[in-house]
Amino acid sequence: MEKLLAMARKVCDQAEVYSVEYVADMVSYQNAKLDKIDTNFLSGYSLRIIKDGRLGFAYTRNLRDRQEFLQNALDSLKGGVRAEYVFPFAKKLPSIRTYDPSIKNLSGESIVAEAGRVSDILKSQTDGEIASGSFTYREKIKIINTKGADLSARSSYAGVYGGIIFPDSGSRISRFYQGKRFRRMPQGLLDELIMLYKHGVKIAEPKAGRMKVLFMPDSLITLLWRMQSGTSSKNVYEKVSPISKKIGRKIFSERLTIVDDPLDDRYPGARAFDDEGVACKPLTLVKNGVLKSFYYDLKYAKKLKAKSTGHGYRSGPWGGDPISLRPDPALAHLFIRPGKRSFMELVKSMDRGIILEGVLGPHSGNIPNGDYSVGASPGFYVEDGEIAGRVKDVMVAGNIYQTLKNVIDLGDALYPAFGGWAPAVLCDDVSVATKK
Amino acid sequence: MFDELNRFLGRIEADYADIRYEVMKETTISFSGKELNQVSADSTDGYVVRVLKDGGLASVSFTKESDAERSLQAAVENARLFARNAPKPIRLARTEIVKDNFLPEFKEDPRKVPLAEKLEILRKYNDVPLSQKKIVTTNIAYQEVLREKYFASSEGSQIREDLITTSITGTITSKQGNMTQNIRMGAGGSNGFAGIRNQERHFEEKTARAIELLNAQPVKSGQYDCILNPDLAGVFAHEAFGHFSEGDIIENLPAMREKMKIGAKLGSDILNIADNATLPDQLGFYKYDDEGVKARPVQLIRKGVLTGRLHSRSTAAEFDEPLSGHCVAEDYRFSPIVRMGTIFIEPGDNSFEALLQMLGDGLYLLYAKGGQTAGENFTFGANYGYLVRGGKIAEMIRDINISGNLYQTLNDITAVGNDLELSKTGGCGKGQTNIRSCLGGPHIMIKNLVVGGV
Repeated sequence: MEKLLAMARKVCDQAEVYSVEYVADMVSYQNAKLDKIDTNFLSGYSLRIIKDGRLGFAYTRNLRDRQEFLQNALDSLKGGVRAEYVFPFAKKLPSIRTYDPSIKNLSGESIVAEAGRVSDILKSQTDGEIASGSFTYREKIKIINTKGADLSARSSYAGVYGGIIFPDSGSRISRFYQGKRFRRMPQGLLDELIMLYKHGVKIAEPKAGRMKVLFMPDSLITLLWRMQSGTSSKNVYEKVSPISKKIGRKIFSERLTIVDDPLDDRYPGARAFDDEGVACKPLTLVKNGVLKSFYYDLKYAKKLKAKSTGHGYRSGPWGGDPISLRPDPALAHLFIRPGKRSFMELVKSMDRGIILEGVLGPHSGNIPNGDYSVGASPGFYVEDGEIAGRVKDVMVAGNIYQTLKNVIDLGDALYPAFGGWAPAVLCDDVSVATKK
Repeated sequence: MFDELNRFLGRIEADYADIRYEVMKETTISFSGKELNQVSADSTDGYVVRVLKDGGLASVSFTKESDAERSLQAAVENARLFARNAPKPIRLARTEIVKDNFLPEFKEDPRKVPLAEKLEILRKYNDVPLSQKKIVTTNIAYQEVLREKYFASSEGSQIREDLITTSITGTITSKQGNMTQNIRMGAGGSNGFAGIRNQERHFEEKTARAIELLNAQPVKSGQYDCILNPDLAGVFAHEAFGHFSEGDIIENLPAMREKMKIGAKLGSDILNIADNATLPDQLGFYKYDDEGVKARPVQLIRKGVLTGRLHSRSTAAEFDEPLSGHCVAEDYRFSPIVRMGTIFIEPGDNSFEALLQMLGDGLYLLYAKGGQTAGENFTFGANYGYLVRGGKIAEMIRDINISGNLYQTLNDITAVGNDLELSKTGGCGKGQTNIRSCLGGPHIMIKNLVVGGV
C-alpha cells in the first residue's frame, strides 16, 4: 500500500489508499434444520487520487500490478469528476476498543451450536416455522493518504438471530442479538418472541382508521430510512430534503432525541475514524424534537461550506462491496434515546392500535418526502391494552414528518435497528388500512 | 485457468466439489443532477469453492490466492460440521457433464465502446430531464458488469461463460414548493450496447411523468379493481408468486410447500406463468447456471394449475423433480442460490381497450417501485397510476402501495391482456443481488386489491 501511495504521490496532487480484509462465518437454520454454512475470506484495495481538482478512482482485489492499478485511477481522471476537498490528517484520534480477541478462537462448532440452540427452543415452545442463524465477522481496515494519515482499525462483530414464521401467512417475527464477541442470545428476547407468537395465533380483524402504532425493531426501518434521507447532506445539497431549512426548528415530538455516536464501543462497529480518515465524534441530529444537524462526508461538507462530521462511509443501502463504493454520507451508529416503559407497559397504554413487528415495502414510496406505506408483516391488534390477535391484509401509511410529531412514548430497551439502535416507538394517530 | 482450478479440486477430499473463478469487470458512470459523480472501469476477481462430504454441503469464497489453502480446508471442515449437525444428508441431483466454451454474441459489444462515448451518451440523456424547470435533480447511472466465469467440478464439467449486463437506471426528481416526487427509469439488457442507445424518448416520457406527478392526487386507501401494466404484472409474478417457485425457499416453509404441490389449483383458469432463462436477447438470459446445469424453460402455472418449480441440484433431489438450471450467484463473493431467470405471465386475448371496458371503475397502475413478500403476503409500490371511470382513464394518482395475499390474488386475476413486455433492468435482492432478474407480462386485471395510500 505504501509503495502504491508513493507512486501516486509523484503523479497526483493528493492520493488515498483504502484497504479492507475480512473473514466472515455464517450459519443458517431454516425450518429448524441446519441449512447453510458459508465462509468468506475477502480483501481488496481502493485508490482515490485528486489532480487539478479532478477525482480518479480505482479498486481491485489483488495488488498484482501497482502501475496498472494506478493507471486505472489516472484514466478515470479523464471523466472530469470534480473533487474540491482535501484528504484529512487527524492528529489525535479517540481511543476505542473495537476488537474482542475471543472471536478468533471460536470454533465453528460453537457458532452452529448456538443457532441450533435458539432453533430448538423456539421449535419446542411454538408450532411456528423456525429460522435462526449466527455469524462472526473480523475486519481490518487501513487508510493512508498523502497528507500523512496512516490509520488502521481491527474490529470484531458477532450475532445470533431467531425468528418464528406464522405458517398460515409466512410473516415473521424475529430478534437479533449482536456484540463485539459471540454470546448466547438472552432468554428474555426468546421469551418475547414466544409470547408474541402465541398471541398471534388468533386472527384479529380491526376496522380501518387512525390509531396508535407501536413501531418495533424490524419495522423501524420505515421511519429511520426516511429520517436518514432527510438529514443527509447529500439530499440537502440536492434540494430533495424537506427539512433542509429547518435547523433549529422543531420537526418531531419533543420526546425524540436522535444521536449518532460512533465512539460508543459498548456496541459492535464503533469507529474512531470514518472511511475517509476523518475523526469520528458524537453528533446530535435531533434533540427533544428540534433538528440540530445534518451529517456530512468530505465531498458534501465542501459543497455546503460545512465541515465533515466524519460520516463518509463506503456502504450502500443494501450493504455492498466497500472497495467498489466511494464514500458517501451515511449514518452507521444511530441511537434513539430510549424511554422508561417496558414493552408490555407500552402495550397496556394503547387503547386501540397496531404493534408493527415487521413491514413489507419500507423501500418503496417517496422516501425523500418522508412518505411511507407498508404492509404489516406481521402486525398485532391491541384493544384496551390487550393483544387481541394478529392482523392480516393491513397497511400502515403516513409521512414521518407527521408520524414522528405524534410520538407519545418510547420503550426502555434498545434493539438493533436500521443503521443503529432504537427502542420501540409508540406513535398516535397513524392511518391504518384494512380489508374491513 | 482450468488447470489451476482442477489442481485445487484435486486437493479436496470430498464426495463432490466444484470451484468457480470469476473475473468481474465493472464500468460505472453516475450523475447526481448536473454533477458527474463517478467514472470508473475496474477489474476484480475471486473464487468460490463448494464441497459435499458425508452429506454436508459448505461453501467458501476467497479473493487472494494465498488464502486458497485455508479456504479449501475450511470448506471441507465446514462440510463435515454440517454433516454432523444436519438431520438428513444433502443430495445433488444428477446432471449432465458439460464441457463448453460459451461466449455470447452481442448487438454491439459494450467492451468496444470507448468510456468517453459512454459518458457522453449518459450526459446527453441526463440533460433531458435537467432542461426542465421543475426537475430539481436526477440520480442516473450507467453500469456495465462483465462476469467472465470459469466453472469446474469434480465430476468433470468444465464451463466457460461470459455474461455482460448493461444498464442505465436512476430516478428523476421533480419539486414544487415543499413537495418532491420521483420517477424511476431503466434501460439496458444482456445482449449488448444497442439497448443503451436511442433512449431519448424514454427519458422525455419519464421526465413528463415526473412533472405530472406534482399535480397528482394521493390515492385514497381502500379496495379497488385494478389494471396493472406489464411491469407491475411482472413484479407481481416475480414477488408474490415467483419466489415460492424457488426450491430453496419453499423447501423450508412446510405449510406453503403443502399448498404448492405440483398439480395444485392456485389461480384462475386464464392464468399461465413461465420462467424461461433461455429466451434469447432478454435480460434474464444465460446458458448454464453456477452449478454447471444447463438452463431450461419451466412452465410454472398452466391454466391456474401449478406445473413446475425452479431448482438447484440439491432442491431438485429433495423434491424429486427435474433439474431446471436456476442456481445462480451474484458474483465470486457468493455461493449460488435458486433464482428466477425470466419470469412472466403469458399473454391472453384482451386488448388494453377491452380491459378498460371490463374494469369500468377502478385504478390503472403503472411501473413498480419496490416489492417484497413474506409468505403469502406481498406488498409493492406503483410509481404512479390513474383513476379509471366508466372505462376511461381519468386523473393521475400517486403514493400507491398494493398489498395482498398470494392465493387470493392469483384467483382474483380476472382478465389478461394480449401484449407482452419484459424488463430491461433488474435488481432482485435475496441476500445477493441479481441484476439480470428479468420479469414481465401483459396488462392484467385484478379485482379487490388493497391499496394503501398516505
